[in-house]
Amino acid sequence: MIFKLALRNIIGNGWRSLINIGIIAAVLISLIWMEAMWYSWLVLAKTQQKQWEFASGMLRSKNYDPYDTFSWEKSYAPIPAEVLPHVESGDIVPILYAPSVIYPGGRQLSAMVKGIPAGQKVLELPSSGLAPSEDGPIPALIGKNMARTTKLGIGDVFTLRVKDSAGAFNAVDLQITDVMDSPVPSLDIGTVWVDLSALREARLLTDVATVLVLKEKSLQSVSAPQYELITEKEFFADLNEMVMTKAVGQSVLFLLMIFLAMLAIFDTQALAIFKRRKEIGMLSALGMTKGQITRMFTLEGALYMVFAAIASLVLGFPLFWYFATKGFALPGGVDFGVVGFDRPLKFVYPLPLILLTLVLMFILTAFVSWLPVRKIAALKTVDALKGGTNA
Amino acid sequence: MNKILLAILILAALPLWAADPDPASILKAVDANLTFSSSYSVTRMVINGRRSSRTVESVNYAQGEDKFFTEYTAPPRDKGTKMLKLGDKLWIYDPGTDRSVQISGNMLKQSVMGSDLSYEDFMEASKLQDDYSASLEGSASYDGRDCWVLLLTAKKTGLAYSSARIQVDKARNVILHEQLFAKSGKLLKTIRFGNVKKVGGRWYPHFVNFKDELKSGKGTEYYVDEIRFDLSIPAATFTKAMLKK
Repeated sequence: MIFKLALRNIIGNGWRSLINIGIIAAVLISLIWMEAMWYSWLVLAKTQQKQWEFASGMLRSKNYDPYDTFSWEKSYAPIPAEVLPHVESGDIVPILYAPSVIYPGGRQLSAMVKGIPAGQKVLELPSSGLAPSEDGPIPALIGKNMARTTKLGIGDVFTLRVKDSAGAFNAVDLQITDVMDSPVPSLDIGTVWVDLSALREARLLTDVATVLVLKEKSLQSVSAPQYELITEKEFFADLNEMVMTKAVGQSVLFLLMIFLAMLAIFDTQALAIFKRRKEIGMLSALGMTKGQITRMFTLEGALYMVFAAIASLVLGFPLFWYFATKGFALPGGVDFGVVGFDRPLKFVYPLPLILLTLVLMFILTAFVSWLPVRKIAALKTVDALKGGTNA
Repeated sequence: MNKILLAILILAALPLWAADPDPASILKAVDANLTFSSSYSVTRMVINGRRSSRTVESVNYAQGEDKFFTEYTAPPRDKGTKMLKLGDKLWIYDPGTDRSVQISGNMLKQSVMGSDLSYEDFMEASKLQDDYSASLEGSASYDGRDCWVLLLTAKKTGLAYSSARIQVDKARNVILHEQLFAKSGKLLKTIRFGNVKKVGGRWYPHFVNFKDELKSGKGTEYYVDEIRFDLSIPAATFTKAMLKK
């Protein structure tokens, strides 16, 4: 009976109810959209980094500290004998880093040259064109960003200066054979890719690597004392932190929106008690307890949330569908240099998170609805029937 | 008859062979010219950029091969910048931030004040005869001077340049032209010396042009306006405390 009465009252409230439902629905649509955006970005960024850079794990030379440029010159370590068969079978991809100077068009630029086996199949990096020829320049691969910075294109020849293992300068000519469209900026910005054997030859090194990329998780247990295992959790720690920071920053705006929606509910409830005093007195006279009346009003407020949830799914569907199929592109082709934003981001909707949001919103709405109506308990039936104001 | 003729030809050629000095002795003589216990100099470095040139002036103090102190005096933008080299360590002091930074690792590859010289070039200071073995390639004329042409090959690891070709003024034992090569044999840098003057009993070039051959442009010119050798320099000059003074 309480439910029926509450429902009838909401319908009877007309435009006022519609406005309340509309406000909450707008907030819910925005919340779901934002949650989907962060979630989709995180999922896509991780997927792309796994496909292009991380695979199923990474062993990193203990001599290499990505945050210490001084360590880069000697950032390699010998590949242990136990690992070599996996390297030969292609299950582990060794990559060698070398800080270098490149001279595109007579200009001098610092770059990190990375050597990767041309025939590797573990990462999506298009390395197949890097196989060195007998004579002529060494084939090189760069990303679109690097091509823009260096003004280099396919077929261009430039000189690379790098130090060998003893510290002597070596200089070799490279020729761009491909410009890749990598979704992972760290593989592109300031980086030149060549065949591993060519880089080792230029540096007078054999069987060394800076990182070993693992095809299968089972290879994480391989013995490599001079390398440290980088787990998925460690590898994506920065990305997770960045998403969390941005999501928290964004949530301030949404807290404000939620506050305004709750204020609308609170206002409506407070006004309802003021305007419906005779009705409260009547219900009380007919035998309803104060608790039942309070529950009815609270349910009325909470039902706004239920209707808003339905409305947000119905009204928001075209929007959700559009972003799921067409994706979200940064306005004006802005490139943050962050993985996952190189192309329109197609939304994936995290159902558990969305359901949790709806439940939390329902509880919050119910609480805000109850706050003004709890005063009904103090209202005297006779005064209420008279339309008194002592409540 | 033929044998006698051959013997005469060989004997006639002997004085020519005897005229070729030992390449190591040429290096020794070059080093002797460049070796001093200490020096003080006032220099100008003209850095030729793509669009314009700028001149950086400095006063420099050196002691042996390992200690070097420079203070930039002009232009106003660079005035007060100091550089201290102690052994294999190099510090730069920036008056703008009042901080000194040790230059090492990848930073050593960067150019000094945008010139064709890298910090690594500043770190190279040991004697040629200690680092390289020389072979005499012949004679050539450079800038109107009769020179020996020597090919230098690194005889120890850890040197930035694995080989070099130098042209040494026969009469004054001064390098007038130097080419520095990469391990692959690619020419990396050319250094031209000029305006050789006698200072304190030694011949010393007062003009040097450094040219990074992989870069376009005219290179960097280095003028020595004043130089004195073997003078007494306070030990405090070569301390980190001097950077902030």
